[in-house]
Amino acid sequence: MKNKKIWGAGLLVVLIAAFAIVYGVFREKPVEGSKEITIEVVNQAEESEVYELKTDAEFLRQAMEEAEGLEFFGEESEYGMMVEVVNGESAVFDKDGAYWSFMVNGELCNNGIDTQPVEDGDEFQIVYTEAE
Amino acid sequence: MKLTAQDITLIGLMVAVIEVCKLFMKDIPNIELTTFWIMMFTLYFGKRILFVIPAFILIEGMMFGFGMWWIMYLYLWPLLALVTWLFRKVNSVWTWATIAGLFGLLFGFFGAIPYIVTSGIYGAFSWWVHGIPWDIVHGIGNFVIMMVLYRPIRHVMNRVNNMLIA
Repeated sequence: MKNKKIWGAGLLVVLIAAFAIVYGVFREKPVEGSKEITIEVVNQAEESEVYELKTDAEFLRQAMEEAEGLEFFGEESEYGMMVEVVNGESAVFDKDGAYWSFMVNGELCNNGIDTQPVEDGDEFQIVYTEAE
Repeated sequence: MKLTAQDITLIGLMVAVIEVCKLFMKDIPNIELTTFWIMMFTLYFGKRILFVIPAFILIEGMMFGFGMWWIMYLYLWPLLALVTWLFRKVNSVWTWATIAGLFGLLFGFFGAIPYIVTSGIYGAFSWWVHGIPWDIVHGIGNFVIMMVLYRPIRHVMNRVNNMLIA
């Protein structure tokens, strides 16, 4: 009985430690310093608006907040903000059958805006995307 | 499997319990009772869980949209029921707490599988790594919930089962 307790709790502790190491080694690390980036918003009518900015933001959310004229908000979740409204245009999956997709240098972002690193020269796109 | 009116009532009640608990705890990220209930229902109500899980998954999809997370639900919750069923003769709270904890801890790892198709191996790996802190919270939460609730709920379940048999 005692062995079962030790094995069960021990296995969990070992796995948690292993996962923490994997997280520490492989997580996306932010880049610090002055960076020139662009953020392009493509709305439902496929009209484009480009924001060019110099920023020290480590993550996309902060850069978006610094972009003059770019307004956005959404629901906070465990993965950070889930953007629902950009420049007054709503793309909520349940209501609008659409969502805002985020791209960096032509590829879909693998992170939410709170954890998407910003690097010098990055070109971000926020595109109104209708669900298939 | 032929369902009686009692079975259908029980299935409805089980789905309701899972959904109510899930909604009640939705503001506490990755702390949930769904794992606990699916394990307990599998242990005590056996094959009826085969109807509970699809109903639960369908309701979740209808409430929150059929996103990528929904694809994970299609295999993760049935996997939990299967593992529980395989260990059904075990009567140790430590074993159940360990299984619940492992399920929470590995939720993101196995949940990353659909991302292999959409984003490739690197994308899936990156998605999993990003969620590791939340998987740890999930695993610890599941472990503690099972340690706290297993014995009192097992007592209630035994009484319910006796009533059903009578």
